Amino acid sequence: MGAPAIRGLGILSGEPKSADARAISSESTPAKPADWGSAGAISGPPHTKSLKNETVDRPLQILALPRPDRPGDRFRRATRECLLALAAVDAMLEDGKASREAIAGERTALLYVTAAAYGASNRAFIERRGGVMHFAYTAPAVVPAEVAIEFGVAGPYGILIGGAPATLRAIEQAARLLEAGTCDRALVLAVEIFEECADLYARHRRSYRWPLVETAACLWLERGAGAISFESARDGRWVAGATGPGERFAAGPLADLRDWRGRGMAGPVELSGRWRGEQARLHWSPEESHARGSAA
Amino acid sequence: MATPERVVLAAAGVVTPIGQDLEAFWSSLVTGASGISQIERVPVADLRVQRGGEVKKLGRIKDWRGVPDCRATRLLIAAADDLCAQAGFRPLPLDPARVGVVVGTALGGVEEGEKVLAGDRGRRRLPQALYDGPGWALARWLGARGPVITVSTACASGATAMAVGADLLRAGEADAVVAGGYDALCRFVLRGFDALRSLTRDEVRPFDRRRSGLLLGEAGALALLVRERDARGPRLGTLLGYGSASDGFHIAAPEPEGRGLERAIRAALADARVSAADIDLVSAHGTATPLNDRIETAALKRALGRRAHEIPINSIKGSLGHTMGAAAALEAFMCLLSAQRGLIPPTLHLEEPDPECDLDYVPGQARPGRPRVMLSTSMGFGGCNGALILEAA
Repeated sequence: MGAPAIRGLGILSGEPKSADARAISSESTPAKPADWGSAGAISGPPHTKSLKNETVDRPLQILALPRPDRPGDRFRRATRECLLALAAVDAMLEDGKASREAIAGERTALLYVTAAAYGASNRAFIERRGGVMHFAYTAPAVVPAEVAIEFGVAGPYGILIGGAPATLRAIEQAARLLEAGTCDRALVLAVEIFEECADLYARHRRSYRWPLVETAACLWLERGAGAISFESARDGRWVAGATGPGERFAAGPLADLRDWRGRGMAGPVELSGRWRGEQARLHWSPEESHARGSAA
Repeated sequence: MATPERVVLAAAGVVTPIGQDLEAFWSSLVTGASGISQIERVPVADLRVQRGGEVKKLGRIKDWRGVPDCRATRLLIAAADDLCAQAGFRPLPLDPARVGVVVGTALGGVEEGEKVLAGDRGRRRLPQALYDGPGWALARWLGARGPVITVSTACASGATAMAVGADLLRAGEADAVVAGGYDALCRFVLRGFDALRSLTRDEVRPFDRRRSGLLLGEAGALALLVRERDARGPRLGTLLGYGSASDGFHIAAPEPEGRGLERAIRAALADARVSAADIDLVSAHGTATPLNDRIETAALKRALGRRAHEIPINSIKGSLGHTMGAAAALEAFMCLLSAQRGLIPPTLHLEEPDPECDLDYVPGQARPGRPRVMLSTSMGFGGCNGALILEAA
């Protein structure tokens, strides 16, 4: 199968060094309520959340992203994960030096992956915060829907629930759609947020590699040369995992890809990840799309 | 371009409000039985609408040891039990590492999340609350050790799952895939749809002038997919093609002209390498909301042209409610059973046709007919549109 070329990659990450991040550094255990109905951003200082650590030596930290500021009445009810997805697409367009029109239309496929980003909105609805009319926002499908609405993306779509292996599979699926001519460009979107369910993750602390790093990422792919191959295997262990420091669930492979690009894209890249006992690897020789920057 | 490898549905299994195996499901559809009743398993006294398509007692499996105490998981496994009975195996007669599982759901195990937040600290609740929990539990029950994938394209999830399952086979990642969809009725979804005012106090009347909304249902629906060259023995039919398209219009409401659904249908026809003239039966999404049925009618007319006026189109949601993640898979099975049995189930409770829904929506009784190529359409929250093209065995 032909390897797709990278046209752009946008990432917002809760890493402490990142300007996107806010650090939560209290000893509080309860989750902070979601910011339902807020028209503006959480524009407070960056922070890190540290959780009670009864049995594990490592600190249980969540490196959180703020709720992005996005003007417009349409976003009044939008959830933090939706707004982060939109911000990731903005960042991707900036990276690709392209205007939003470049990804609009029926020839753009949109593949969304998450393991748990819907947890925050599900919890808010269950706990009756924000009112029952927010029910529609509990569906994982609304995150790519907000992207489709905002950027006019109207092509094929897919939504995979799972960790890093699901994202690697989505990249492979994008390669397949591009090769088959089903679309001219494909966006692989991954969003993971943790803050609102911090206490629940802490209960299953041994299942994750801490800190949990909130991440929203979008990868823009076009047809390219080279080769891509995907493989997965099961070892039966229920452990999340990625190659970089901390845990980003589905967003991990895109953060790894960013790091590889940051190192100058020397040679092929091998992206890997694990979720619920499935290990997956993607061998890929991506190139930067020649069209990069030409459609701005 | 090379023709994609053909994928067949070797067998199917279901658990639904109108029957807990494929035969009972089919019999109820053709006789016009209704699975709508007062909801009993979860409290509904505070809700405006208290009825739905509830599976009253999961009677298929007597011993649930080793299976999580999770309604969604148990619906899925009950459907798998029927699938194994239909296919005549369990354990799987294949290398487990070559058997994949792909399931679609709108809600996953969200009811487990409700229990956790209500104070239940059971060790297994939280992993089941993630939307991919029931899919992994199914894989364990089946003994399948190939890829396990959960998709959540809202109410189009069952269609997406079967398409992804077919892709796994074509890519050589598996030699058999158990694919389909599920969703359980729980407080979370009942309260949500009640708040949206999408539920009716009347019967569910797809394409009827008096239609006033949908009722929710719960179900599990699974098929065994294999490559045609690997298929042995009887089969239900072939999955010829799949198409999807985003509305890019609104979070909860469908695009008023149905352009997204039209694009999905056209993409499915192209993927299947058939034309509108080849379609003999349409299983419509047909939720019975005032908006959906009018929009769907318009989309079918544009996508199928004159053929839309010549062929039967039905909706089975009047019989069992909207089963969300299971709906598209159940509707696909209905299409293939229609072809096999030579009968097209009626659209239950369609009595006064809406002039804006002026296609042949099969009112009244089951109708003789043996379709060869069939289209099944799905629409969901977030503007998810999906279409499957199926071919009779």
